[in-house]
Parts: sequence; C-alpha cells; structure tokens
Amino acid sequence: MTNALNVVADSPLASLEPAHPTAEAEAVFAEIRAFYEVAEVPAVFRRVAADPGYLADLWGATRRAFDDKRLTRRHKEALAFAVSVTTRSSFGTAFHLGQMRRLGVGEQGVMEVLGVAQMFSSYTKIADTLQLEPDMGEIAPVDHSPAPGGSPRSAPAAPVRPPEAP
Amino acid sequence: MPTVRLRHAAEYPEPIRKLFELAKAWFNYDFAEPPAMSRVMAWDAELGAFHGRAMKRAMTPGEWTRAEKEMVAAVVSGANACAY
Repeated sequence: MTNALNVVADSPLASLEPAHPTAEAEAVFAEIRAFYEVAEVPAVFRRVAADPGYLADLWGATRRAFDDKRLTRRHKEALAFAVSVTTRSSFGTAFHLGQMRRLGVGEQGVMEVLGVAQMFSSYTKIADTLQLEPDMGEIAPVDHSPAPGGSPRSAPAAPVRPPEAP
Repeated sequence: MPTVRLRHAAEYPEPIRKLFELAKAWFNYDFAEPPAMSRVMAWDAELGAFHGRAMKRAMTPGEWTRAEKEMVAAVVSGANACAY
C-alpha cells in the first residue's frame, strides 16, 4: 500500500485539474482525517477523489493495511517510513515520519529506523551486485505458501476444448 | 552464483576469523561458512570493521527491539528486491 500511495503522491501531476469531491468523497475524506488526525487530506487521496468509488476502495485497502492488528499502527508507520526512505519517496517519507511522531515514536526511534534502512540499503546493493546467495536459506527459505486469506496455487488448468458443433 | 570468488574462512588471517565467530554469535546461527556478506566485507578489514560496527549499532535494541529492527531490515530488503 505504501508504494501504491507514494507512486501517485510523488508524481508531477500538478497540471491535472484538481478533483471536486462529491458528498460521497467528502464522507471518505472525513474518515481519512479522523484516522490520521490531520486537518488536510493527504494529496494522494484528494488526487483520486474524482471517482468516489475508487477513492473509497483505495482508502478501505489503506485503512485495512494500516489499522492495529497483530502489528500496531506504530509498527506499520515505521515500516512504511522505511520503505518510503528506501524508495526515495518525498511524500511517503514526510507523511510517515509525521505519523510515527504522532503515534509516539521519539527522535531516537526515528533515527534507529533510518539507520537500519541505510545499513540494509548498503548490504542489499552489495549482495545484488555480487549475486550473493542467502546464508540462512535452511531456516528462512522462500515461502511459496499462499498469503493469509489466499488459496493454494493450483496446477495449471488443462486446455479447454472448444465445444463441438451439434 | 556469486560474481566473485568468496574466500573460505580459513583463507583469512586469525583476527578476522575471530570476527567471524562473533558474527556467528550475533546471528545465533551455526553457519557452515561465515555469512557471505561478512566474508565480502572482510576483504578490506578496516572498511569491514567500520561497516560491521555501524550495522551492530543500528541493530542494537533501543527504542525498537532487535526483532522490530529485523522487520524493518526485511522490508527494506524487500523494497530493494534483494533475496539475500
């Protein structure tokens, strides 16, 4: 979700006409403001508000992803911040930094996430360049099981024969 | 397949091999060979020492636990599309 939001928020779309939100979109905006405790709806949601159905679904997915579950919102904002820094998103970095602070992450905590993002952006570049193979594949193999809520990957379907003429 | 030949632990001088033992303890994992990244960074022992200490500082528990930091490292690796 972080990349989905950042890709539109960071795009140079200023020449597009701003959306004029309908009452339906305004209701979604109210939810967004309440969720993030912000006065202004983040630009990415305002940008897509011309289609209130799309806005509602995009917001529903975002709220679902970022809501407190086994991981707290504090964790998720920190992860989104790390992803935004890693992918050089100006919008995402500033937005999730603000949300981390709002949720009680201190300056030390912010710097810690930044440090991990920096160190591992270094390691991953080295590993990719040298095509290093995982050292801990035994205990952390690539997991091909379906994501929670998904269904197992099925075998490719047999080709369907076109119906024969009577 | 790595694009460079990774040296075996035995090819490194004794002080570096001791650092490899510390890496094993840090990861709490019995590697058959020291991690490939450790062996790469140890090519230049001074650079590797600075980089390794910076990594340990970054991963040491503070406001976030080690596990939480590993989670951040995992998403950064994912964002960089790095399987290693």
